[in-house]
Amino acid sequence: MAKKLRQIAIYGKGGIGKSTTTQNTVAGLASLGKKILIIGCDPKADSTRLILHAKAQDTVMDKVRELGTVEDLELEDVMRTGYAGINCVESGGPEPGVGCAGRGVITAINFLEEEGAYTPDLDYVFYDVLGDVVCGGFAMPIRENKAQEIYIVVSGEMMAMYAANNICKGIVKYAASGSVRLAGLICNSRETDKEAELIEALAAKLGTQMIHFVPRDNQVQRAELRRMTVIEYSPEHKQAQEYRDLALKISENKKFVIPTPLTMDELEGLLMEFGIMEEDDEEIIGKVEGA
Amino acid sequence: MSEQCAIKKVTEITTEEVDRIKAWINTEEYKEKNLAREALVVNPAHACQPLGAQLVAHGFESTLPFVHGSQGCASYYRSSLNRHFREPAPAVSDAMTEDGAVFGGQNNLHEGLENAYALYKPKMIAVFTSCMPEVIGDDLNSYIQNARNEEIIPQDYPVPYANTPSFNGSHVQGYDPMLKSIVECLGGGKRVEGKNNGRLNLIPGFDTCTGNYREYKRIMKAFDIPCTMLADISETFDSPLTGTYHPFPGGTPLDETADVLNSQATIALQSYATKLTTKWMAQNTDAPVETLSMPIGVKKTDELLLKISELFDKPVPEELIAERGRVVDAMTDAHQYLHNKKFAIYGDPDWLLGMVSFLLEMGAKPYHILCSRSNKKFAKTLQALLDTSPYGADCNIWINKDLWHLRSLCATDPVDAMIGNCHGKFITRDLGIPLIRAGYPIIDRVNLHRYPTVGYQGTMNLLTWTVNTLLDQVDATCEDRNFEIMR
Amino acid sequence: MEETNKNNPLEGITKEKTQEIVEETLAIYPEKARAKRAPHMSANDPEDAGCAIRSNRKTVPGVMSARGCAYAGAKGVVWGPIRDMVHVSHGPIGCGYYSWGTRRNLVEGTMGVDVFSAMQFTSDFQEKDIVYGGDKKLEVLCREAKELFPLTKGISVLSECPVGLIGDDINAVAKKSAEELDIPVVPCNCEGFRGVSQSLGHHISNDTIRDHIIGTREFSEPIGKYDVAIIGDYNIGGDAWASKKVLEEMGLTVKAVWTGDGQIEHIAATHQVKLNLIHCYRSMNYMAKVMEEKYGIPWMEFNFFGPTKIAESLREIAAQFDEQIQENAEKVIAKYTAPMQRVIDEYRPRLEGKRLLIFVGGLRPRHTIGAYEDLGMKVVASGYEFAHNDDYERTYPELDKGTLVFDDASELELEKWVEEFRPDLVASGVKEKYVFQKAGIPFRQMHSWDYSGPYHAYDGFPIFARDMDMAINSPTWGLVKAPF
Repeated sequence: MAKKLRQIAIYGKGGIGKSTTTQNTVAGLASLGKKILIIGCDPKADSTRLILHAKAQDTVMDKVRELGTVEDLELEDVMRTGYAGINCVESGGPEPGVGCAGRGVITAINFLEEEGAYTPDLDYVFYDVLGDVVCGGFAMPIRENKAQEIYIVVSGEMMAMYAANNICKGIVKYAASGSVRLAGLICNSRETDKEAELIEALAAKLGTQMIHFVPRDNQVQRAELRRMTVIEYSPEHKQAQEYRDLALKISENKKFVIPTPLTMDELEGLLMEFGIMEEDDEEIIGKVEGA
Repeated sequence: MSEQCAIKKVTEITTEEVDRIKAWINTEEYKEKNLAREALVVNPAHACQPLGAQLVAHGFESTLPFVHGSQGCASYYRSSLNRHFREPAPAVSDAMTEDGAVFGGQNNLHEGLENAYALYKPKMIAVFTSCMPEVIGDDLNSYIQNARNEEIIPQDYPVPYANTPSFNGSHVQGYDPMLKSIVECLGGGKRVEGKNNGRLNLIPGFDTCTGNYREYKRIMKAFDIPCTMLADISETFDSPLTGTYHPFPGGTPLDETADVLNSQATIALQSYATKLTTKWMAQNTDAPVETLSMPIGVKKTDELLLKISELFDKPVPEELIAERGRVVDAMTDAHQYLHNKKFAIYGDPDWLLGMVSFLLEMGAKPYHILCSRSNKKFAKTLQALLDTSPYGADCNIWINKDLWHLRSLCATDPVDAMIGNCHGKFITRDLGIPLIRAGYPIIDRVNLHRYPTVGYQGTMNLLTWTVNTLLDQVDATCEDRNFEIMR
Repeated sequence: MEETNKNNPLEGITKEKTQEIVEETLAIYPEKARAKRAPHMSANDPEDAGCAIRSNRKTVPGVMSARGCAYAGAKGVVWGPIRDMVHVSHGPIGCGYYSWGTRRNLVEGTMGVDVFSAMQFTSDFQEKDIVYGGDKKLEVLCREAKELFPLTKGISVLSECPVGLIGDDINAVAKKSAEELDIPVVPCNCEGFRGVSQSLGHHISNDTIRDHIIGTREFSEPIGKYDVAIIGDYNIGGDAWASKKVLEEMGLTVKAVWTGDGQIEHIAATHQVKLNLIHCYRSMNYMAKVMEEKYGIPWMEFNFFGPTKIAESLREIAAQFDEQIQENAEKVIAKYTAPMQRVIDEYRPRLEGKRLLIFVGGLRPRHTIGAYEDLGMKVVASGYEFAHNDDYERTYPELDKGTLVFDDASELELEKWVEEFRPDLVASGVKEKYVFQKAGIPFRQMHSWDYSGPYHAYDGFPIFARDMDMAINSPTWGLVKAPF
């Protein structure tokens, strides 16, 4: 009897700590005995380095470029196994400003499906997806029969919350025709004012939950310097416990919703309520300095 | 004045220059440069995925092929099929333009489905993609589900769909996902435990010879085994002229297709064009799913008949055994004309495997084999086949090369004849060798697609064309003193 | 040749009846599509501006349109026929493959040596080229093309859809390659999703000729007062050769043909000619206007289908020159009168009163009417795939009142009209051909001349007449109804 595979996509604004959070959480799940595949869906290709202790993994697209065609690519060319038996693949893609990174995600996932990367022994597939849903390609991981749970990594910073809300709009579109659902917000703390409360409030308005509040801790950076997750580097450290807690919550999570994204006014209202944003002073709009 | 002097004069290429280059392109030096090409493709022997998808769609009852993408794509696939078959090829597109590129193609798809459904009243609409939606990442599944939710099409109306990016593989790879989606859409979840409808699912693959489909049906009739052909284009692309136009003149019935998971067995005859479909079949039914070679030549036909016989526990019919005897007789009569003759052949992977097998049976030498879109695995399979015969010993396999490469190869290392589609005619004309036309497309001769090239009957046709073409060449080019009545 | 009186409507065809047919045709559509299609078909009435039809609009999704795309217009029509250049279909394999050798632009020369029109050059994009961009590949490709085809006089880069979608900069690559290789490398952003039909591809290609080619060469011999260029003849089945022959017989010197059997350097020096003669107005009027504005070269349209229109055109062309040319024109007309009459005497009795429906592109829905009329045939309906208003304005007066004029017809519309008008011949394209032949209606492909030709000028008319007779009177039509 094959296990029930859970496919999870992690979205969030660029620079929010998405890849770090994903890898630490995956390490946490692995420490619970789960078998996991991580698919990095970001041309930067930094979704697996902490698991593999590697600077950069050969990406699917790099190898395709080298071989000239997808047809000659083999799974073992691009799949590596790292910490706790976690399988790792990076889709890869171009430098900013050229080509079509979104198509790289489609190419890579199609390849993995055809070549049998989704083995029956897997408990989880994690897709670590670039920033916002910028084009159809980056929504590939949440199409039908792929990720059905989405977690959004967010912090108390204004732009992170904007991005989270935008991602929810994308989810609503796909949820209408498929079974993809929002599973929660992960707050990766930036130690802003009243951060936990704010994200709780945002989660409530989106109809979801803040599944975990990950406090800021320099131990994460110390582990990263060694290209390791905290869980591997210092399993006894309190930050490692935070990720294990998050992993446990994810494994037990049953709250999957179609989100209710906020309008711009609602979102700004929320930010004002928490003092992150001040009400527009109509007097100063469009006035040059000294005018 | 000075500015005017700066403008260059019109120049003409001299005949000396033309003669020099004309000689140069036949040299070893040129061949090396030509084979070193990395970016430029000249005279390719493959088309793009959506063509294969459209071919499949045409093989089902009252099914309208629907191109999600730019309208020009649909016109190209249609006219390509029109020219080859000299038959209509009704298909629509949703005419995506610049706004679709930015906002996604859902509006086009929805409007297109609404109109296509109302106008042509097809029983099924088979959607496949051209480049634009593939680059921007349109999600067909959600678009089509949304169309149902918005009541643009009925909830239970079959709209199979396939992603067929033109920048991956060839027409051969496009055939498979469309076929898989159609059988999944119609037959998915309809496996009844313990049921066996006694039928054979036969999957020919990308095959544009209507005669082949009729030949398969004739073979199955001789066995007296009911057959579900997935997909059957023989009526669609070879329909009678009666004075009345039928947009959907044939194709495999949808209700028959709906029962594919309850068939006694499935046989696929092209491995490269049926991978996804056979995998899906194998996952969803306990009945045997076999992939064989295209039955070109005696041995490959034997394999097919033996397999059918084994799967259905029926002897090979006497009439087919007699046919086998006749073709072996004909091959023996003609062997002297083909023995050790060198051939250049080019085309799709599975067809090449069949053709090579046939040539080896005749003691002919497949010499340059070119497949302009395939992979190393195919090269290995082909090499293994060549290794079974001493006549395959000198053969050169060229993967991902084109017909301009083949021209250089044949100019420097000559062959007696070429076998392939009509695009080879520039090479054979330049080099003064004959071309035996087979494959896709053939747009410069009539009716060849009506004659089978599979089974014993098809082998007889191939033999006849090949030998007689070589003999025509002898008569056309020999010196007067060697021109004789008997050959 | 008889005068046809456009005011005497064809028997059984009235404006009212045709308008009824239009209404019935529209009834097949769902509401939204019906509203979109309604302005695209009308009963002809040259005196009633209200009958003018709408054109050059987006095709309705989900209908079986015959239209192609901007790339098709650029590759198939404008650039492809230029014989001495390497035309690169830049992008995935399909577009170049399907447009390979299917438009019958014949050329003089040695294929693969000094001419390349019958070949197919492509960058054959793979997934990696989409993801990483294709600019570097294009640069290498241009170098390889020049090395392997050293006599090429230039390279055109014809973009397919993905190139525009992923934001490649082919203009920069082309500029760099042109300098490095010392030949023109012309970037043409003719992605298929641009515009509504092949028509935009013609326009974009004209613009690239304007920006990269015209005025970059001068003829090596002195400029003559009878120097002309033929604009918009693509040498389908040898058309341009037939046209050129007649013009030269009347004493004119054809310095360049755009673009059938075309030579890029001759095209580049066309700014030196005295008169531009436009056959296909739709695809080439842009450049004629540019040359008029920039170099003061007058242009005029002409029609080389059928002896009546040829004679009219020769006189109009001659009127632009001196008496010598005018005298020559009369001599040419006189020379061909008897042979043309013999053609008419042979075929007209077999074709008299036969009716036809025309649905093609460019110029033929109006330009061929005269040739059919020379044979006693009458057009009952005529339409274009991708015309603009100025094409229709030129068409209304050529057709009888009450006949049907239409734009971007769908196959179902054509079926309906054929059923209603019962033409003896349908003159359209390959996608339509077998539909109507199955229905028992004689058909000629009028894009490709059905693999025959030429149809232009005095050499073309006997072939045209023979082919129409052959289509309509083939004994095979007598076999369609089985005796049992």
